[in-house]
Amino acid sequence: MSETEYDPDVTIDARGSTCPGPLMDLIGKVKEADPGTVIELQTSDSGSKGDVPEWLDEAGHDLLEVVEQDDYWSMYVETN
Amino acid sequence: MTGYAIVLASNELARVQAVSTIGSVAAASDIPVEVFVTMDGLLAFDEEVVETGDFDVGPVGRAMQDAEDADVPLFTEQFQQAQEIGPLKLWACEMAMDLLDTDLDDYVDVFEDTLGVAGFLNRAQDKQIVFV
Repeated sequence: MSETEYDPDVTIDARGSTCPGPLMDLIGKVKEADPGTVIELQTSDSGSKGDVPEWLDEAGHDLLEVVEQDDYWSMYVETN
Repeated sequence: MTGYAIVLASNELARVQAVSTIGSVAAASDIPVEVFVTMDGLLAFDEEVVETGDFDVGPVGRAMQDAEDADVPLFTEQFQQAQEIGPLKLWACEMAMDLLDTDLDDYVDVFEDTLGVAGFLNRAQDKQIVFV
């Protein structure tokens, strides 16, 4: 498993879920999170790699890192 | 941009699913969405059809139903999830319901209420209209 320097406050396991599942799960968590919260979104939906950054950019939150795991991606997000 | 007013007049699963996907992400992002389900569109929301999965499907809809290694949330789940976190309202067309001799109890629980064309136009006047 790949390593990251980030220690998430919240982890969302959206593996196996297709578009828009991972993004919807992320939006739900972001909306209830305090600023500065680090969220790890685990997704096996390859479309999330493009769609999540697009949404974060528009919504004003930060994508910290995308880590490729064996059969999914961990996307680290910080809320503003 | 003050939101989208989507007219859903088709019961083809892929079209209904596209409306729920786009509408749900928009609403979850705080963009107001009003969905007016009319004509054949209502057929996909029939409680029995949803329960049995007996949808009108094309190639993509069939692939969705057959997907074994992917969890594809049905449009009803997407709408319900989005309604909990954003401004998304679905309206059932009164005229189509009269023709079908149905009432709201015959449909899955996603509708705000029934609505006529004047009511829809009032809600759509400040929005981008999308016809599906």
